[in-house]
Order: sequence, then C-alpha cells, then structure tokens
Amino acid sequence: MSTTVRPGTETAWHGEDVTIREVLDALEAIRARFARSEAGDDEHVHPRNCVMTLISVTPSEADELSAEQTTLLIGREHPAQAIVIREEAPVRGHKLDARIGTEVQRPQMGCPTECEIITIHVGGQAADHLAELLDPLLVSGVPTYLWWLGTPPFGKKELLDALRICDGLVVDSARFEEPHRSFHGLSRLLKVAHHRLGLADMQWSRLRPWRETIAQFFTPADRRKFLSGIAEVGVDYAGEGRGNRIAAALVTGWMAAALGWKLKRAAAGPGGVVVAHYEAGARSVEVAFRSVQKDHLAPGELSAIRIAGASQGTTFRLTVQHDPERRAAQAEPAYRTLHPTEGEDDAGFELAERRAEWHRDVLHENIESLHHTATGDPPGESRPKRPVVLSRDRRRPDSQRVLLTMIEIGEGAPLRHVQQLDREDEVALLLDLLSTGTHDEVFNRSLAEASALVDRF
Amino acid sequence: MKVQEAPNPLAEGLHDYRVADPAVMVIFGATGDLSGRKLLPALYNLAKQRSLPAGFAVVGAAMNELTDQAFRQLAGQKIHQYSRTQPIDDRVLAAFLDQLFYVKVDFSKLDDFRALAQRVRELDNTNHIPGNRIFYCATPPPTYQTIAVQLQAAGLNTGEGFHRVVVEKPFGYDLKSARELTQTLQKVFAEDSVFRIDHYLGKETVQNILAFRFANSIFEPVWNTNLIDSVQITVAEDIGIENRGAYYDHAGAMRDIIQNHGLQLVTLTAMEPPLAFEANAVRDEKVKVLRAIRPLIGEDIEQSTVRGQYVRGWVLGEQVPGYREEKNVAPDSQTETFAALRLFIDNWRWAGVPFYIRAGKRLPKRVTEIRIQFKRPPHLTFGRDAMKEVDPNAITLRIQPEEGISLKFGAKVPSAGLRIRSVTMDFQYQTSFLVEAPEAYERLLLDCMIGDPTLFTRADEVEAAWQLIDPIEESWRNSRPPLETYPAGTWGPPSAAKLLQADGREWHRP
Repeated sequence: MSTTVRPGTETAWHGEDVTIREVLDALEAIRARFARSEAGDDEHVHPRNCVMTLISVTPSEADELSAEQTTLLIGREHPAQAIVIREEAPVRGHKLDARIGTEVQRPQMGCPTECEIITIHVGGQAADHLAELLDPLLVSGVPTYLWWLGTPPFGKKELLDALRICDGLVVDSARFEEPHRSFHGLSRLLKVAHHRLGLADMQWSRLRPWRETIAQFFTPADRRKFLSGIAEVGVDYAGEGRGNRIAAALVTGWMAAALGWKLKRAAAGPGGVVVAHYEAGARSVEVAFRSVQKDHLAPGELSAIRIAGASQGTTFRLTVQHDPERRAAQAEPAYRTLHPTEGEDDAGFELAERRAEWHRDVLHENIESLHHTATGDPPGESRPKRPVVLSRDRRRPDSQRVLLTMIEIGEGAPLRHVQQLDREDEVALLLDLLSTGTHDEVFNRSLAEASALVDRF
Repeated sequence: MKVQEAPNPLAEGLHDYRVADPAVMVIFGATGDLSGRKLLPALYNLAKQRSLPAGFAVVGAAMNELTDQAFRQLAGQKIHQYSRTQPIDDRVLAAFLDQLFYVKVDFSKLDDFRALAQRVRELDNTNHIPGNRIFYCATPPPTYQTIAVQLQAAGLNTGEGFHRVVVEKPFGYDLKSARELTQTLQKVFAEDSVFRIDHYLGKETVQNILAFRFANSIFEPVWNTNLIDSVQITVAEDIGIENRGAYYDHAGAMRDIIQNHGLQLVTLTAMEPPLAFEANAVRDEKVKVLRAIRPLIGEDIEQSTVRGQYVRGWVLGEQVPGYREEKNVAPDSQTETFAALRLFIDNWRWAGVPFYIRAGKRLPKRVTEIRIQFKRPPHLTFGRDAMKEVDPNAITLRIQPEEGISLKFGAKVPSAGLRIRSVTMDFQYQTSFLVEAPEAYERLLLDCMIGDPTLFTRADEVEAAWQLIDPIEESWRNSRPPLETYPAGTWGPPSAAKLLQADGREWHRP
C-alpha cells in the first residue's frame, strides 16, 4: 500500500497482510498516545467525541485519495470514525493492507482532537463481506454512513450485505457509469434494503436550489392556487440521450409526487424533445424534456425549468435558468491532482503541469467520442470509466454559480431574481446530507416517480 | 376566525426551508450602526441562503440625504465589512442591492412618511407584493413612539397584507415607560404584529435550552427542587462600554442585561413544558415564571442584590480605564456596571431553590452560562475521604462563546484504592453538528418576515420583568445597597462573593 502523496494526514501506522484485530490494536495505541501527550502532567485525559462512522468505498486510487481528502475535511470540524475502503485484487497473503493517517486539530477554544482515517485495501472474498470486516470498527451509538463512490453493485449480495451495518447509503447518480440502468438499481433498493436504511443521492442534493426556487414561487398565499393550474413544464438538460435525463426525471418525479400527478405516457417528439403526459385530476400536464448544448454544464445537469399555466383567469410563467451569464469554464485544476509533482522543485511542477495539460487535451476533449467509439453505446447510455476526471470537471468548487428566476404573472412586468447555488463539491454535499440525515421520504417518493418516468424513456 | 392555510406541498422535505412572503421592509435608521453591522449583513445572508423571495425589497429610511444609489453603495460596504459569510458573492450582492431603496425621512415630518408610503406602494406594484410591510426601528428607543404615530398618520399600518413593526430592546426604561410604549404600539399595530427583538433569543444555544429540557426524558424528572440545589446564571463581558457611554450611564447593568437577557435565561431554565413550541404557548409559560418570582422589596434588596462599578484594572493582559474615566460617563456616576442578585421562584417546582444571577462589564472573560447545581448524594457510600475531591453534580449550559453542555459527575480514579474524582462529559456545538449556526439576527429577521413571534418578547413579559426590576432600581437610587467598586478584570465586588457565601455556596468560575 502506498503511503506517499496523502494530502493532509500523517501516516501513524501501516501494515500489510494484517487483520482487523491488528488495525484495532494500532488504532487504540494511536489514541492512547495522543490522549496521554495532550493530557499533560496534571490534567485528566480529554473526553473523546465522535458524531458518526463514515465509510467510503472507492473503486480507484484517485477516488481513494478524493475520499480521504473529503473525510479529512469533514473530520477536521466534526469528529468521526472515518474508514476508506478500496477493493483490489489480492497481491499477497489473504488478509488486508491497512493504513491509519492522523491529523491533530488544535482549536483556539476547546480541546485538541485527533482525526484518524483508516484506509483499508481489501481483496478476494473478504471484499464480498464488508459488513463482517467493518463491524468491529464501527463506533457504537452513532450513525454509520456508507458513501459509495462510483457505481454500487446494485442487485448484488455484497451491496446488501454491506448495507446491513449502515444507517444510510450515499451515492451520486450523476457519477453512475451506466446511468439509466444504475438508476433503476438505486430505485429498487428502496424495496429491498432494510427499513432503517436511509438513501441519499448527491444528484438530488444538487437539485435542492431548483426545488426551493420552484417551491418559493408557489409559497405566497395568493399564488398557491397556481399549483392546480400548472399546464406545461419544460426541462432543459445538457447532453444527449436518456442517461443524461436522470436529473430532469428526478425533478419531474418530485413535482409529480408532491402534486399528485399520474404518469400516462411519454413519447419522443420532434427536434429530440421527449414529452411526458401526466394526469392531474381533471387536467393534463405536459412535461417536455429538451436536450441543450451548454458548454458550462456537464452532461446531465439541468439548464432550465419553465412552468406555465393559469388559474382563475390569471396566467403565470416561472422560468428558472442555470447560470445564464456564466463565462466559459477555466482550465480544470483537478487534473493536476492526478499528476502530483512528487517534489516541490520547478522541474517537478513543470512535469506535472505538462502531464495535466496532456490529460486535459487528449483525454478530456475527446473522452466522450472515444468512449462511444469504443463501446458502441448511444450517447448518454454509459459514461467513460474515468469518473473522477469527469466528476471533478463537472463539479467545480465555485461559489459564483446562480439560478436566475423570471416571474411573469398576468399582465405585470416580469420580475427578475437571482439566487446563489450551493457549493456542489463532495465535501459540501456530504456535509449537507449527513447533517440532515439520509431518511428523506420526499426523495424516496420522487425517486420512485422518476424511475417510472425513466422506464418510459 | 383565521383559516389555517394548507402547506405548500412543494416545500415538503426541504429541511430548514423557511422563506418569507414578498414584502417591503422599511428600516428606520438605515444609515446607523445597527443597520450597517447587523441588519443589512443579515438580510444579505438570508438572500444568499435563498430565504428572501423574488420581489422582497428593503427601503432605508433615515435623516441623511441619500440617493438609492448612494444607499446601495453604503450597504454594499457594510455587508463587505460585517457579513458573517465571506467572501461576498458579487452576483447575489448585486441582486440584493438592486432591491434596496432609500427615502429621506425626518421622523417629525408627516410629509416624509407620506413620501415613504408612496414609494412603498410603487414597490408593491413593480415587485408583485400584496401589501406586506415590515417596519424595523433601528433607532434609539425614544423614537419608537414617534415613528409608530407617524406610520399611522400616513396610513402605512393598514391595507392589504400584513403590517409588522420591530423594536429593539430596551423596551422602556421602567414599568411606566414600557407601558406607554406598549400602548402606543398597540394603538397602531395588533400585539401579534409587534416584534420586540432581544437578539439573545435568536441564539441557537438559547433555543437549545428548551430542546435540552423538553426533547429529552432524562433531565426533566430531576429538574426541580428535589434534586437541584441552586442555579447560577452568569452573563460576563470582558469589554467596557465602548462608545455607548451616553446610553449606558443611564441604563446600567440591571437595565442593560438583567432586565432582559438575564431574566430571559431564568424563564427558559425554569419554565414548565409548553404544550408546543408555538409562540403563545412558550410565552405563556415564560410569563408564569416571571410572575412566580418573589418580588424583592425593602430589606430584601439590600440582602439579595449587589451592585458594583469597575475601576481601572487589567483585562486580558491590558490595562483598561475605570468606568468613570470612560467617554460620555459622568465623573461621579453612580451607574452600576456589575449587578448580582438572588431570586426565588415561588412555585411547586422551584420552591427554595435560589437563582443567582450576575452580569457585568470588564470581567475577566466573555462568557454566558447557566449552571444547574445538584444536591449532594444523601449518603456517602464511599466515605468522606474517597469523596473529598468530588464536587456536586452539575449541568452547565454554555451559551457563549464555547456553546455546549457539560455534565459533571464523580468517577473512580483508576487505582487499587477507592478515590472518586469529578469528571466532565462535554458536548460542544462546534464539533458535534455538521452545520454552521446562523447569526441571531438572521434567524429573528426571518421569523419576523414569516410571522413567527415565538422568539420575540410579548408585552406582558416586558411588563412582568419591569415589575421585578423597578423596586430594585428605586432602592439602588437611594444607595441601598451602596455602590461598590471592583478592579476591571475581576469577578465583581467582594459582596458578590459574600452573597453566595452567606448561603454556604460560591460562584462557579466559568
């Protein structure tokens, strides 16, 4: 197991071909050492605090680094038992390789805390029994969250087995390699997972500002009547194909579930537009999904939502647009994290910079066409197997992104409103999901409706 | 009868989704300190959190001659300087500033209020606002009544939509002035439209007192005179009076802190469980506590209160001047900068439990906490020797700066012998929750926009508090007890310690 290029933490222990018992012993020794060194001569040892166990399952080394960095950032402020798991082919022995990285925080007020990240490389049959492997590492009495980077093995026993010990599963459906198929897998999980399990999707979290903005329009008492007057909905999304229509389906599923719309049919229309027809009591609502080309949006991201209708003789139109004034994206610095300098001299930087440039120019610019040529899949059906590059590229840590809202009611002049989008990096999304818990009935209902809609695509 | 509105189905599941209806907020004193430091940054942060709806507009009203543009520029500067969240998001700020307007208002001129009304009506039309208005008096308390009267004269308190007024503490100077203020405000606005803001109640940790008590089943059964020995409330500041000499020299620690913050903490600690976390249910219970507090009269005041004034001393390693050397303070001032008192709540739950409250300036550190001290065990099972290092159990609710809760209990020291020592179990807000707490003003402004007065003070609460404080102030004016001094950087005058020593107790050092 590599112990270099670990941002943030200091390797306090590592072992190859070890057992979980040895990991636990090492962890105990690290904690005792820290407690004693901080206690001083006269003081008692400070109490240890922990708010959750966060397990990250990572499919690649880049994901592993990303998960370590994310959990470290969370752990700096919120003491947690952090475990990063990577499945790899067993190269030696039959046990596992493990590393414990530590970082000490010394807040101005309050006691110092030590954040530990336990990284485990597991191979062979042990990887199919994550619950048994991890159970001894879980902290008693606090929730356990499983963050699965990439695509979880939906429908496989190993996933259900891992979920046995968890209170919540966090995924990002925007990162699924086969979005259309995997989304169904996610939806089916609602039926087969144990009742305590909460399900959370980072893609759903990214939709929160859209949901809020739409809800806001209908919140004033004098506009509530418009809810039963919605006649048309338009959803624009970036990219092509049904695999890129997942976020659009989720937001539509949310409206349908909340407003009691029943899906009747969905059909392809002219100009690549797909239209879904819902029944809303005696009325019908038409939802048009339109693919748009937007350079600043990643495939699958929402570009705009339009809701229009009339009630009691008053017409209304709400338009929510994603970043209409946004400038072209800057070169993505995330590539550089894939090419560490391994030294802080000029030559090292230069080399890393050139590798990053090559990576962007050669791989990224052509990645979609290379992928589809290689797989023969239609656009949007599957994604290239370098999700970390894509996902970082699509989710810039950018606080300047906004939603622009236009409100038109009756004959009145249009009213413009700008609202900030939340940070969409993994740390921010995870923090949000974990702070509010993963049991979200609205998401579950929306997911079920969205899944039914995706079925018709 | 008010018809309960059905909830917006699209808002379900949006945790922390609280958004106001479109409204015009008029800030009187918009160019002043409170507006610049607190209100405008809080509104910007609400906009940033998407809590302000499309069409929400702010009209600044003050004596200065400013254009809309100049007011926006001023607001932008203040937001850059004082916003809790940094860096400032330029696009959100620009959109927020676009909805800021300014009207020059001389509070004595009705015509100015008419011009204000005209501007507000225009905004109703352009911003799809159904007549909703919030009037925020970020002005000195003596102006509240004038503003209310002028609003009525200009017809700004009637028409479609809601009409709310927000006033800042202090709510009056004594019972008489508080009643006058209430009467004036209630002539213009319905009581449930008057929002008396005490920003202390907007603090997460203050609200957490109720959550701690009523969302857990293990604390309430011991929260009474059977097991509690005493309650100590400390509201300590290390700073002096800064630039508030003119105000403070007339108010003092009793009016500035104890009449409002101090008694609010008493009520939250001592109240009975409300039927629901709903405005009137909570405030009814708080008022009951205030009414159950045994009034201090005559000799009680000399025996149960302490007042002190700081003299030159050292705070946080720096030498600081005495109170009478501060700007805008009379050289022979008799104003107290420290106040301590012992209260009893005459009800079933609290009979015989003393509540010790102290508040002061230029104390060694800034700290606000409530300490619930429990009685000692009835029998020393482990013998006196084993127990000599054990303090009684205590729960400390820390309001600021290290928000949290700690529980002190005895544990056996690991050794062959049997020795018990006190240990502390700590809960710290900062490290236990994955979200950042909003600033008190953000919470309270949004509550006001939504129309939730739970965390605002009701008229009867204000009056009940003044009924307790007035006799003490009266006695203090006659130097009973006499004003003592204390060096800056210490925990108040010697009599503060004696107040507890007389009961066989001592102040907890925060």
